[in-house]
Amino acid sequence: MTTDPLDALYLPVVPIEPRPEFADALLRRIEARPGPLDRQTATVRYFVADLDASVDFYCRLLDFEEELRPSPVFAMLYRGDLRLLLSVPGGAGAVHTLPDGTVPQPGGWNRMTLQVADLASTADSLRRHRVVFRHDIETGVAVRTLLVEDPSGNPVELIEPTAGYHERSTR
Amino acid sequence: MGTSDAGALVAIYRRALPQVYGYLLPRCGSVVVAEDLTAEAFMAAVAAMQQGAAPDVTVPWLIGVARHKLVDHWRRQGRDERSRTVMGHADQEPEDPWEETVDRVALHAALAELNGSQRAALTLRYLDGLRVGDVAEHLGRSVHATETLLVRAKAALRRSYRRSHDD
Repeated sequence: MTTDPLDALYLPVVPIEPRPEFADALLRRIEARPGPLDRQTATVRYFVADLDASVDFYCRLLDFEEELRPSPVFAMLYRGDLRLLLSVPGGAGAVHTLPDGTVPQPGGWNRMTLQVADLASTADSLRRHRVVFRHDIETGVAVRTLLVEDPSGNPVELIEPTAGYHERSTR
Repeated sequence: MGTSDAGALVAIYRRALPQVYGYLLPRCGSVVVAEDLTAEAFMAAVAAMQQGAAPDVTVPWLIGVARHKLVDHWRRQGRDERSRTVMGHADQEPEDPWEETVDRVALHAALAELNGSQRAALTLRYLDGLRVGDVAEHLGRSVHATETLLVRAKAALRRSYRRSHDD
């Protein structure tokens, strides 16, 4: 039997200790990486009539980023830690259609609330893009607030914090 | 599925790290590159675990992940080399037998002179002892293309070895 002279290249794995600083830094990276169960991303689902128009609205005007758009009836967007699911009702598998045939509809009054840095300039920008305003800027308790509609008529509330604004204290 | 955090990896980290690093360092010959690839391999392992795409976390599995990272490294290097140099000639040299005994150290040194894809193919085939089919899978090439690559890589290695030996 002929042996291949290059078999002499065979190199078994012999453990080598890397620099301790490297080993410690890498361990910290591994431990710091949040697991999917730690993230607890807040998720909101909106029903929309026109997926393209809706993705464009949220991404172009309200700083969302498109994460997934695997089909013509579903998209996943992110804005910071908020995940927004957009579904066209009655679409693929029609999982949101009730047993009695009721199909979810966009609209209503419940809304997600997005914080912006400068409500007046956001309002100007939305107005230029002919976004429907349900009401213009109002001053509420600890926020200034504005209610607009996405292209399917879903309300989206925009707020700018003012004095006394409260968020959950850091624990 | 249980918790998909990095706990299982952290548990074997101190034992696995020297093995993974010990696999990579002699093969790439650079502490900087070996550290980068070690970190890439461990972070890829964490990502695979979180996506539920990892089998049981063992040292051989981690070395397999590291092997993929090493091949990726040489692939990137190969792209750089191709953009810098005109493809060489002399790939179809007649079979030229090796001496009875080869100088193992010089052979490893000669290997380091080769381009990325040749180095990757020979490393997987001979240093790691993989079968040609497994080498092909790692390189994303057909078995036939891998055999051709190995023939050319061996010819290049021989030239490199002779050059250094004749010095």
